[in-house]
Amino acid sequence: MQILLDLFYVLIFPGFLFCAVVGLLLAGIDRKIVARMQKRMGPPIVQPFYDFFKLLGKETIIPHAASRGVFIAAPLLGLVSLVVMALFIPVFGFTAFSGVADLIVILYLLTIPAAAIIVGGAASGSPYAGVGISREMVAIVAYELPLIIVLLTVGKKAALDGGITFSFTEIQAYQAEFGSMLSHWSMIPAAVAMLLVIPSEVGSHPFDVAEAETEICEGPLVEYSGSLLGIYKLNHAIKMFILTALFAALFLGGAGSGILIVDVLLLLLICTVVTILSMSLPHAISARLKVEKMFKFYWTLVTVLAVISLVLVWMGF
Amino acid sequence: MIIANYIGAVLLMFLGLYTIIMKKHLIKIVMGMCLMDYGVNLLIVSIGFNPGGTAPIFTISELDPGAFFVDPVPQALTLTSIVIGACVMAMALSIVIKIKQKYKTLDAGRIRRLNG
Amino acid sequence: MIQHFPILSIMSLFLGSFLIVIFGGKNRFIRNSLAVLFSAIPLVLICCLIKPILIDGEIFSYWMGDWEPVSGFAIGIGLEVDALSLFFALLVVLTIFLAAVFSLKYMSRDDALDKYYTLFLMLGGGVLGLVLSGDLFNMYIMVEILTFASVALTAFRNWGKGSLEAAFKYLVVGSIGSAFILTGVILIYAQVHTLSLAQISALLATEGLTPATIFGFALLFAGYATKAYIVPFHPVAADAYMTAPSSISMVFSGMVNKAGIYGMIRLVYMVFQAMSQSAMQYIIVILGCLTMFIGVTMALSQHDFKRLLAFHSISQIGYVLTAVGLATALGISGGLYHALNHTLFKGLLFLCAGAVFYSVGSTDLDKLGGLAKKMPQTTIIFLIGAFSISGLPPFNGFMSKWMIYQAAYEKAALEGSFFYALVTIVGLLVSVLTLASFIKVTQSVFFGQLAPGCEKAKEVPFSMRWPMWLMAILCVLTGLFPGFVNRYLVVPASAAAIDTTGYIDAMMGAGYGQQLGLSPETALSLEYELTGYWDPIAWLVLFVVLLAGLMISLGLGKASRGPVRRPVPADPKYDTFFGGEASQHSHVGGSDLFWGLKHNLRHYFRFMHSMHSGVVNDYALWTVAGTAVIILFMILFL
Repeated sequence: MQILLDLFYVLIFPGFLFCAVVGLLLAGIDRKIVARMQKRMGPPIVQPFYDFFKLLGKETIIPHAASRGVFIAAPLLGLVSLVVMALFIPVFGFTAFSGVADLIVILYLLTIPAAAIIVGGAASGSPYAGVGISREMVAIVAYELPLIIVLLTVGKKAALDGGITFSFTEIQAYQAEFGSMLSHWSMIPAAVAMLLVIPSEVGSHPFDVAEAETEICEGPLVEYSGSLLGIYKLNHAIKMFILTALFAALFLGGAGSGILIVDVLLLLLICTVVTILSMSLPHAISARLKVEKMFKFYWTLVTVLAVISLVLVWMGF
Repeated sequence: MIIANYIGAVLLMFLGLYTIIMKKHLIKIVMGMCLMDYGVNLLIVSIGFNPGGTAPIFTISELDPGAFFVDPVPQALTLTSIVIGACVMAMALSIVIKIKQKYKTLDAGRIRRLNG
Repeated sequence: MIQHFPILSIMSLFLGSFLIVIFGGKNRFIRNSLAVLFSAIPLVLICCLIKPILIDGEIFSYWMGDWEPVSGFAIGIGLEVDALSLFFALLVVLTIFLAAVFSLKYMSRDDALDKYYTLFLMLGGGVLGLVLSGDLFNMYIMVEILTFASVALTAFRNWGKGSLEAAFKYLVVGSIGSAFILTGVILIYAQVHTLSLAQISALLATEGLTPATIFGFALLFAGYATKAYIVPFHPVAADAYMTAPSSISMVFSGMVNKAGIYGMIRLVYMVFQAMSQSAMQYIIVILGCLTMFIGVTMALSQHDFKRLLAFHSISQIGYVLTAVGLATALGISGGLYHALNHTLFKGLLFLCAGAVFYSVGSTDLDKLGGLAKKMPQTTIIFLIGAFSISGLPPFNGFMSKWMIYQAAYEKAALEGSFFYALVTIVGLLVSVLTLASFIKVTQSVFFGQLAPGCEKAKEVPFSMRWPMWLMAILCVLTGLFPGFVNRYLVVPASAAAIDTTGYIDAMMGAGYGQQLGLSPETALSLEYELTGYWDPIAWLVLFVVLLAGLMISLGLGKASRGPVRRPVPADPKYDTFFGGEASQHSHVGGSDLFWGLKHNLRHYFRFMHSMHSGVVNDYALWTVAGTAVIILFMILFL
């Protein structure tokens, strides 16, 4: 019975199926909102579903120069680690595998999808992919520093009696008792930093240096086609959901209503709002950053924001 | 005048370090290592020296609580250290010979294929 | 009988090297069996000591020639084996044995192998003697023996690129370090007139530290830091690891730098009991952070397989040092756990590099590629090692790094010190960079296009593979069962590291410390709990999901090779992976994976490049300057 339940967690909710559907939905909403902001009609909200299923039906071409095994395994690796992450991020009170979730585990897991893009791109044997993975590497190092600081800030703030914690359960418990993190003013810079980290982690527009379609033809993905490309698109969508849900868990958590369905709907609402704020809005109003600019942006402005919060939290605010 | 020994030892060590750091010639660097070793050895024997003490050679029956002799332990240490120093020198010089054969130079500034 | 096991295990290594000189010159079989036999004996003997020392908590003391202390004064040379010593001794004998077995085939194409095994066993004996010794001068002797043997082994393949200059640099910096250690020893001797660690510890604790002892201590500390290759003493290590045969590189990173770490732990925690002072904690943590950051950033810009691994080795030692410097129970445990893991995964990675060198004949990243098809087992082993060193869950590196992060962050909370929060950030960042760097290596060596020159590569023979498999399995096991490793290995060793009174009493007779007016201090509590919850078994879920995912993907089954089957011209422009620096052929910028990073941090990288100039005088200068800073710091703040 337990096994069936676990299987349900992994495959249906909150695992694979749930985050795939929600992710694709978020991607659709994002596209629609951006389009509306640019005074276009935009595609229907379910367009990403159509795209995904169409790609699954197409022939997958593996280039001659590619190393076949890695080329196929890389997108799957990213997908698997994203699904695993979904199991560990709490939905208010509910976690599929309670207690296992942990900030440092999440931090490590978050690097794997990006690493998968690099590995897959490197295996594809295209110069465009070569440039793309080099840029992706810059992006990873750029956003990882503020992300680390944000996570540590939350870990300090959520601990009672002057200690620290890395546990999601305790972070949720703290927010249930003292109100969500965002209601503490000292956490606001960290939340802003996190909002800025999300688009770059997802690879959405102003920070999509690695995939820059107009410059390097989607960089690492240039040689991908068919179902493998579909999996990458799915990864992208799931990542949107995972990171917005992570934001919700870190800054907008709490006890929730106690009824799972209501909590999930609430989470979806938060995710949508965060998506619009952190991804659609910058996407619609700004042009892509240069690689160096992006690195500087994250290591100066965003890091400083995160550090301000960290210092404030350490001073006891 | 044991203080002279200490000054000499420290001077020798600094001279050795100076040679190692400033001289580009490999043989001179090896000489610097020697100098440093000698400095340390001098320091060790000086520390064990008691002015007016006898040589620390006794049989069990001769040894009485009032005996005044120089500390034998540092002398043993010095001997060990000298032996080790000699081995290290032999090793260093043999490596220098090999380097000369291979690189055709003894200039430390040009023996830097491994860098960065 | 079991009382004699420590000395017998040291003796068997030295005896083995002696016998190989006499009998091993002619006959290959005799030489090899002597080498394996005399490296296996210590393994057995040391393993016999696990039960009494690690589990029952005894401390073995052994006076050579039965020269026991007379009226409270140690006159003989003693061995003292407590759980900390045994912990490191286990690492040493395991490394020695596996490296010996690996060498049989790996070194079979070289000549003068009797010299090789002689020096090899001497090196093992030196390190084992160092960690089991209870005598300050004896430790110095062992340091000299191991330096001597290491230098000779670095230069062993003197036909290789740079091995001679690496050996010379190592010798110069190493002998400066040794001279500092000897000066430190003699300065301490001049103050307390004894060389027994236990007695020095008791006397210094009662008399307190004078400027002279602090000076001696600083010299000893810097000397052992030289042997552990921490920044700024590290450039020679990169050269030596790179040019030595891989089995020796494994020994270097598996145990020689552990010997330095052991010396530092023993000195700061036990002999000088300086860890309670925050200044001491600061300097060790600062040195550790510098080491891990500089190590990993230097690794990013390497294009030799082994040199890159060498810089990672330096960087991981930084983690160990940082953790040890925190002086909390969790910190020491995390540090020792990481030391254990470092021996396993770094040894593994060096052996993989050796396997690659054995079948291809090069370790240049620009000339390697696509070996996964030719050497599938080595690839799997390398991946296990790479995952472990990057700290991906559920491998062992994750567990120990996690303990270290938590220790650092808890220390910050405990002391209200923002500095330690920064340390945590540096640790996490370095971990990300390590992962990034290993993506590059994995790609450019094992995956990607088959490089020209790699077509004839074959999987290495079984006698080379099984030591690698054994270490790979140990990597996975220590990751999956951290509770077991903690209970039986790490916690006893960390308890021993801070149990000064027990150490003194075991050596000098019970109650010796109290006679001198030394109160039995309240031992640092080893009670800690990890915040959050870590259950590696739950990670098997990940693999279930992975398996399911792969099944689905195989079901997709529409993959084709595409219609175009023209052979790709051999042009670096079309290389699958741009790991190397041969970018002049490429028309698009950023042919190097870390181009963007290096461009953004170009001032830093330029500075670091000029620091690692390759000139021996510079390295000697960094050594002396580093020592001077350490001495100045300690005299001012201790």
